[in-house]
Amino acid sequence: RLDANLISVVPEKSFEGLLSLRHLWLDDNALTEIPVQALNHLPALQAMTLALNQIWHIPDYAFQNLSSLVVLHLHNNRIQSLGANSFDGLHSLETLDLNYNELLEFPGAIRTLGRLLELGFHNNNIKAIPENAFVGNPLLQTIHFYDNPIQFVGQSAFQYLPKLHTLSLNGATDIREFPDLKGTTSLEVLTLTRAGIHLLPRGMCQQLPSLRVLELSHNQIEDLPSFHRCQRLEELGLQHNRIHEIRADTFVQLVALRSIDLSWNYIQFIHPEAFVTLHSLTKLDLTDNQLITLPLDGLGGLTHLKLQGNAALSQPFAKDSFPKMRVLEVPYAYQCCAYGSCSNFFKKSNQWGAEDLSPEEEDPHKRTMELFPGHADNHYDLDADDIQLDLEESKLHPTIQCTPNPGPFKPCDHLFE
Amino acid sequence: GRSAAQKAVIRVIPLKVEPILLEGEFADVAEVTPAEGKLLQSHPLSLCNTSEDEHPESGFITIVKLEQPDRDPNPCLSLANKAKLAGERGARAILFDITDDESAADQLRKPRGLSQPVVLIRGHDAELLMGVVNKNREAHVKIEVKEPPAWPDYD
Amino acid sequence: NVSQGCQGGCATCSDYNGCLSCKPRLFFVLERIGMKQIGVCLSSCPSGYYGTRYPDINKCAKCKADCDTCFTRNFCTKCKSGFYLYSGKCLEKCPGGLEANNHTMECTSIVH
Repeated sequence: RLDANLISVVPEKSFEGLLSLRHLWLDDNALTEIPVQALNHLPALQAMTLALNQIWHIPDYAFQNLSSLVVLHLHNNRIQSLGANSFDGLHSLETLDLNYNELLEFPGAIRTLGRLLELGFHNNNIKAIPENAFVGNPLLQTIHFYDNPIQFVGQSAFQYLPKLHTLSLNGATDIREFPDLKGTTSLEVLTLTRAGIHLLPRGMCQQLPSLRVLELSHNQIEDLPSFHRCQRLEELGLQHNRIHEIRADTFVQLVALRSIDLSWNYIQFIHPEAFVTLHSLTKLDLTDNQLITLPLDGLGGLTHLKLQGNAALSQPFAKDSFPKMRVLEVPYAYQCCAYGSCSNFFKKSNQWGAEDLSPEEEDPHKRTMELFPGHADNHYDLDADDIQLDLEESKLHPTIQCTPNPGPFKPCDHLFE
Repeated sequence: GRSAAQKAVIRVIPLKVEPILLEGEFADVAEVTPAEGKLLQSHPLSLCNTSEDEHPESGFITIVKLEQPDRDPNPCLSLANKAKLAGERGARAILFDITDDESAADQLRKPRGLSQPVVLIRGHDAELLMGVVNKNREAHVKIEVKEPPAWPDYD
Repeated sequence: NVSQGCQGGCATCSDYNGCLSCKPRLFFVLERIGMKQIGVCLSSCPSGYYGTRYPDINKCAKCKADCDTCFTRNFCTKCKSGFYLYSGKCLEKCPGGLEANNHTMECTSIVH
């Protein structure tokens, strides 16, 4: 280990004879160049870190004799440029960490790294990911490249990466079309936000059979295809787009879909059968659209429903429409009254003159003592009546948060009817 | 969103010792919902993406004692994301002792719909809770939603 | 509650959280003792952990469950007993074309 010293030069013969050396730590030193000559005599080296130095360039053939190297860390240097052949010779490399450098261009030299599994170049100054960027790296499982000013991404950049699980692109404003992900069949999480996408290809889901999370917020999507072939889809984020309609087949057969965010769109119409097959749906956000009615079929499992900002949506909701509801945001306060948010107000209005016990006047001891759960394995030192109270109230009773909360100035009666 | 912060009743039941009743307030970043579980302290730096430390089995309630902001000039994650990460690691609720970092309340005010409740605790209540932590005695915690007072009668 | 003198290699610390930052070159480790979790500063990471140096902090993190010592989380340098080491991975059986060396607990090329 040579880490955390002040080494600025590694003489050529420093490692001569170390034919069995496997792991080398040169991180946190003062190197300004790759010690190319010194690294020429390490045939058994498998893992090396040159992180936290001041290296600014990687020349061609810098690591050409390191045929056993599996892990190479170069993070936190000042690397601005790479030779086109800088990684030639690294036949065994699986992990390459170029994070926190000053790269201006995509590291094309990676094309010779046929066994690469993990690549990181986040926090650099790269503006574009070219076509066929990873054509030489078919085994890639993770690519981290956030915090780069990426504007352009080639249509074919992420093709034929059958092991890639996650792809996230945020703010690449020059992206106009949804990427062609042919051959990238294991993708589970795709995030493509704040770009200029206005159309989703019909066959998109055929390319993405394993997709669980699709996040496409802040684009210019107007029309949705049917997602029915995205059979494993669990989370769908489409907020801040230009969608105006949800058809019967848009979400059909998405039995694993738990959460849909369609807030901040222009949705006027939702087909009555749009949600019918969504047996796992628990969260639906339709904030700030132009809905007039909301079809309730298929929404019985919702725990979260957000509808604020739909001025024309005045339909009242019955409590049994959403038996599992926990968080409900509705356009008008009176739509909360079905959820007992105004139970006190109700008592007053329904039984004039009836004694109205505010929560404070109820027996505080009773309220706080009802808190214990009746765990069988509860070995805490509780006295008998604590346990007894506990058994009666064995389940914490969830509260329903309904907003806007009715109040004196937001009465339960719909004034305009 | 809620105008006045929703109060939380926090019941701490140390093993073999009298329970303690404390009060905190739910942060709007998460849902207002009851929760209970075993109390575990988390160091503020443990809630970072890079720390892949061992995670206790899920079902616990984590307490994080926040230090003065100037002692952690560039935190690895925002407090909202730290709370999210704690939830992803199995915490049923996150308690933040904000006695030394009142700015935390503002940072956790923006609703993010986190499923696990986030409760802020300060002052004497926080001191009592951290006292339990310091004695390092196993404790069970129950968090309840304190009913908002009824509206004043305007008739 | 900020203790005056910090133990060990802490640069800053507090009563409840222990070390908050370390003196130069030292590694920051999170230690769980029952319900408590405190920060500790060490000159090198304990067994079963690997160190990564960053500009603002040097951190220790855990190796994988089947690994005793490692260079990074995904590159083991010594496997737990019962596993053979091959190219940074811990395997229950050596891949084809390699033989299991029960002395070094590694997979090695077959010498003809």
